[in-house]
Amino acid sequence: MGLTGLEIYKQLPKKNCGECGTPTCLAFAMALAAGKGSLDACPHVTDAAREALDSASAPPIKAIKFGSGSILGDETVLFRHDKTFYHPTTILIQVSDTMSDDEIAAKVAEINDLEYDRVGLHYSLDGVAVVNESGDAARFAAVVAAVAKATEKSMVILSNSAEALKAAVPQVAERKPLIGSATADNYEAIVNLAKEQAVPVILKADGLDALNDLVEKAQALGYKEFVLDPGSRTPSQSLANFTHLRRLAIKKKFRPFGYPVIAFTSKSEPLDEILEASVYVTKYASAIVIKTSIKAHLLPLLTLRQNIYTDPQKPIQVEPTLHVVGDVNEDSPFYITTNFSLTYYSVEGEVEASKIPSYILPIDTDGTSVLTAYAAGKYEPDKIAAAMEASGIADKVKHRNVIIPGYVAVISGKLQELTGWKVIVGPRESSGIVSFARTL
Amino acid sequence: MIIIGERINGMFKDIGEALRNKDPKPFQHWALKQQEGGAHYLDVNSGPAVPTEERPEAYKWMVNVIQEVSDLPLCLDSTNYDAIEEGLKLCKRPAMINSCPAERAKIERVFPMAVQYNASLIGLTMDKKGIPKDAENRVAFAMELVAAADEFGLPMEELYIDPLILPVNVAQEHAPEVLESLRQIKTLANPAPRTVLGLSNVSQKSPDRHLINRTYLAMAMAVGLDAAIVDANDDALVDAAATAQILLNKSIYADSYLKVFRTR
Repeated sequence: MGLTGLEIYKQLPKKNCGECGTPTCLAFAMALAAGKGSLDACPHVTDAAREALDSASAPPIKAIKFGSGSILGDETVLFRHDKTFYHPTTILIQVSDTMSDDEIAAKVAEINDLEYDRVGLHYSLDGVAVVNESGDAARFAAVVAAVAKATEKSMVILSNSAEALKAAVPQVAERKPLIGSATADNYEAIVNLAKEQAVPVILKADGLDALNDLVEKAQALGYKEFVLDPGSRTPSQSLANFTHLRRLAIKKKFRPFGYPVIAFTSKSEPLDEILEASVYVTKYASAIVIKTSIKAHLLPLLTLRQNIYTDPQKPIQVEPTLHVVGDVNEDSPFYITTNFSLTYYSVEGEVEASKIPSYILPIDTDGTSVLTAYAAGKYEPDKIAAAMEASGIADKVKHRNVIIPGYVAVISGKLQELTGWKVIVGPRESSGIVSFARTL
Repeated sequence: MIIIGERINGMFKDIGEALRNKDPKPFQHWALKQQEGGAHYLDVNSGPAVPTEERPEAYKWMVNVIQEVSDLPLCLDSTNYDAIEEGLKLCKRPAMINSCPAERAKIERVFPMAVQYNASLIGLTMDKKGIPKDAENRVAFAMELVAAADEFGLPMEELYIDPLILPVNVAQEHAPEVLESLRQIKTLANPAPRTVLGLSNVSQKSPDRHLINRTYLAMAMAVGLDAAIVDANDDALVDAAATAQILLNKSIYADSYLKVFRTR
């Protein structure tokens, strides 16, 4: 992202001395913005200005990596329809060191087991947040070690005590946990620990002003692997804070807030908690720590995350394999369509409404609709014939009838020739399927 | 796209006479007619119809009679800043000041006034020496206006920079330079300043004025034009503005987009 002339101008000394070879600072700023000169040509520019200009050309929100493949931050928009959200929210489940060893082992086993396969996609939980509620540094360190042994997933290590973190973190530093939280009172010890162990650290302060102060102080320690926590614990306040943080980082290039954000749920009732976490998934939290670990509670949250972080510019596709609607048998009708999800689900919905168990084969058209695919040469009879062959439909039904979309009636002759199947031209619109199916 | 209706101007005979006779009817007629055509602002210019020393009073009168019939915000068009200030005091909705060149003395007078009255401001990319020929110098003046907005605390979205289009029949080489200027002005600050053109100037004394105007409008919108002072009752031009807006993905498409553009 280039700097604007005004942003550069504000950092220049405004002496208009002409020593850079340009008559005024304003003209020099414009030349720099246009890429026509170097800042080094100005002998009066301060180090602070140079730093400000360098960092202003960095991405608005720093990417923070931790654990097993968790990437936080590195986002560029406020609304996904403007481009896309890149790095799905990392979701972690909280484990307290006040729980017994057995309870902890059971909880971590439960977390490891949170894997889902749904509509051709695989979801899993990202990690465990170990919280020091016992107040005992040795107990905390033992629990952190036990959790690290029991799971390969990403870890967040949370304590208010620098001592407890010093006991717990070094033994698992190679797992690159995210640690926290550094506050105004203890940030020096905790940020320095994070720096020594090369792990990212959460900076927590009450409110945005205090957070701004804390970030600047922590940066002065020569470390920049931060995740921000504005301290709010109610959904409405967190929503406001996360929006400000994201907006300031992107729209105003406000560097102290150019870091990802972590959210903690406050609700104890699991259904409320999932609703709360849903707000944070949609509104800019890069990581969320939640309490519930029940499989049914988490599926909707993980599904929402998947949906929100889908690239809106890419058409959503369904798997181009043979799909089944209802309790099919060897007489079931066989429809073909495309793998564009809008197209496929329109067809599937109508086939379902016809109440006749059926097979549907979405042809892989790179997620384009029937007419788009046809116009682009992605819906040719030879390709459809090959997909029919590969799908194994011939072994599943005893008839040899294939129903094609009415808009591509023109391919019926060639398809019939290639496959030897009787090609039936269906209705143009999928809304005609219900009445069409009755005539079969 | 912001359409600023140009018709209330003392250079037009009916307005000039009405101003001298203190006859509100032509003012009110054109206010309503331009509003109907699709204007978002009404330009108000006394022209030379009244002597300089009487202009503050004239602007007060014009603002009042127009606001009797129309709620549209006004674009106060004069080089007499006292007249503009008198007008600003009476404007019910935040107005636009037309205009201020990139001259320090005028900047110091006009920018604080815009901030004080919560008004938008049209800045011209010229100084005492006149209008530059190339884009580079136009943009240099634009940068001075941008820096002034920052200095005086005028929000960048309230600054409308006018890179000054000239008639194509006598100053043809300016037209592409103005397009290039519009493109570059949008990169000067973040958020970017807005841009405006006194569009009808491009076709002065040419045949097929309407065709020239709307063609240039579409071209200018493609490179970042936000507003134009135009004939709001040139339906083909307003249609072109509405269409360009759709093609730039600035308004959500609907089959009735021409109508929607006029009823906003």
